[in-house]
Amino acid sequence: MPTSKVNAVHFLSKDVFELVLERDGVEFQPGDCFAISNANGVSRPYSASSGNKEPWLQFVIRRMPNGQVSQWLAGRSPGDEVEISLPFGWFRPGTNGASSDRCVLVATGTGIAPFLSALRSRADLRPLVCLYGVRCLADAVGLDYLRDRCPLRLCVSREDAPPHHHGRVTDLLSEIPLEEHTNYYLCGLDAMIDEVSQWLEQHGVHFTRIHREVFFNA
Amino acid sequence: MREKSNAQSWLLTPDGHPRGYIGSQALAELWFHTGTNCNLSCPFCLEGSKPGDNRIEFITLEDVKPLIAEALELGVKKFSFTGGEPFVNPWFVQILGYALDHRPCFVLTNGTEPLLNRMRQVIKLKDKPNPLAFRISLDHPDPAKHDESRGKGNFRKAIRTLGLLHAEGFGVSIARLMEPNEDGDAIDGSFAPLLREAGLPPDLPIVKFPDFLPPGSIANVPNVTEKCMTSYTTAEQRAQYMCSFSRMIVKKNGRLGVYACTLVDDDADFDLGDTLRESLDVRVRLKHHRCYSCFACGSTCSGGT
Repeated sequence: MPTSKVNAVHFLSKDVFELVLERDGVEFQPGDCFAISNANGVSRPYSASSGNKEPWLQFVIRRMPNGQVSQWLAGRSPGDEVEISLPFGWFRPGTNGASSDRCVLVATGTGIAPFLSALRSRADLRPLVCLYGVRCLADAVGLDYLRDRCPLRLCVSREDAPPHHHGRVTDLLSEIPLEEHTNYYLCGLDAMIDEVSQWLEQHGVHFTRIHREVFFNA
Repeated sequence: MREKSNAQSWLLTPDGHPRGYIGSQALAELWFHTGTNCNLSCPFCLEGSKPGDNRIEFITLEDVKPLIAEALELGVKKFSFTGGEPFVNPWFVQILGYALDHRPCFVLTNGTEPLLNRMRQVIKLKDKPNPLAFRISLDHPDPAKHDESRGKGNFRKAIRTLGLLHAEGFGVSIARLMEPNEDGDAIDGSFAPLLREAGLPPDLPIVKFPDFLPPGSIANVPNVTEKCMTSYTTAEQRAQYMCSFSRMIVKKNGRLGVYACTLVDDDADFDLGDTLRESLDVRVRLKHHRCYSCFACGSTCSGGT
């Protein structure tokens, strides 16, 4: 497996960090994942959050209490080498349907990564809205950037952080625009994705307009 | 028909008996391995597939075109695809579209996000001149047991995908795991209420597979000798072995190789050459531990030709 050098590990909060790697010319599409391995060869897939024209590869990672890979990555220093796969993926935010189609983004936690990658890669991508759920305000990534590109509804579930909604993204489903020629992109843990998918279908959105990327905590 | 190798390990069992073999007939089915990259990482996967895995690389449309042309010259009746998860391969829908211009196609899939996210493109494949069928893995009729290995919620997703594909008019079937000493009919029957609920016929075809072990495993199974094959199988039965009528294309280290079947890509002895023609001139010795599964259980990955 190819290796890449660590540029930086930025902790955003106690458990969420951004890992920045040298890109080494690798080509990828927004929504692509890379499998990154620990020293024992155990790997986990992570979606890139950087744009595909930026000179580095960036990931948003939650350090899991017993996470074999996330714990190891959290302890890396600039200059360390990590094993990383070639990019792969099946989730393509902002690209499904006709080029004139609009999009709605719904993310929880590190599920914001592919949306950040898509927005950083395509200046013309202007979502109708982005619903973004985090546990604590400090876990949120790229807020200024997101606000600059689309109406953002941030939901913070484990603390009160006015003016943001205190609760989950699924509390705000009625704010999702239900319009024709719109694709809905959902990324995060499966419970959120299932609930939002069901709601959308119950409200007449055809399943082929709902695009899902499930993140697992491991 | 020539021997692939004169090595003793290819020709003889460890205790010196001639290994059983299958002589190839005409090529009826050509399989393509789309790559071992998969969105899931099931502990029992016979391919060792997982996210980012590159043991077997993604095939591309350009890889596939000359092999499809050669297979058509040889009279192939069907193209089949397995992975990894085929829909993880970024070129897969294009490849499938190209293959469907020529022959019926058959896809093994886990029926989760990679396929669901491409459903709109998949539905368009109905307009192709040949039919498309899918076999989706539902390991157990108990959703919790399926999800233990495949991840929470994936049983429900897979069965929903089956329902969506069936409703769109595609052929669908199920692949499940075979338990030791199981009551096969009872297990198959347990799927019926779940299938009905998803709007599927309760008697959907179900194919069961034994535990094939991860790639590179050394299994303690009997060796299949020439005497086993002539004493316990008829010529008609031998003609049903997949290595008799099919081949699989595998891409490793940038090279496309023709393998004897879908189960032996971890053993270079079963790499029968660069072209389909030369691969059909080779006697396939039943040396792999998974060959014993075909001998004992009559396993076939094929959806029928």
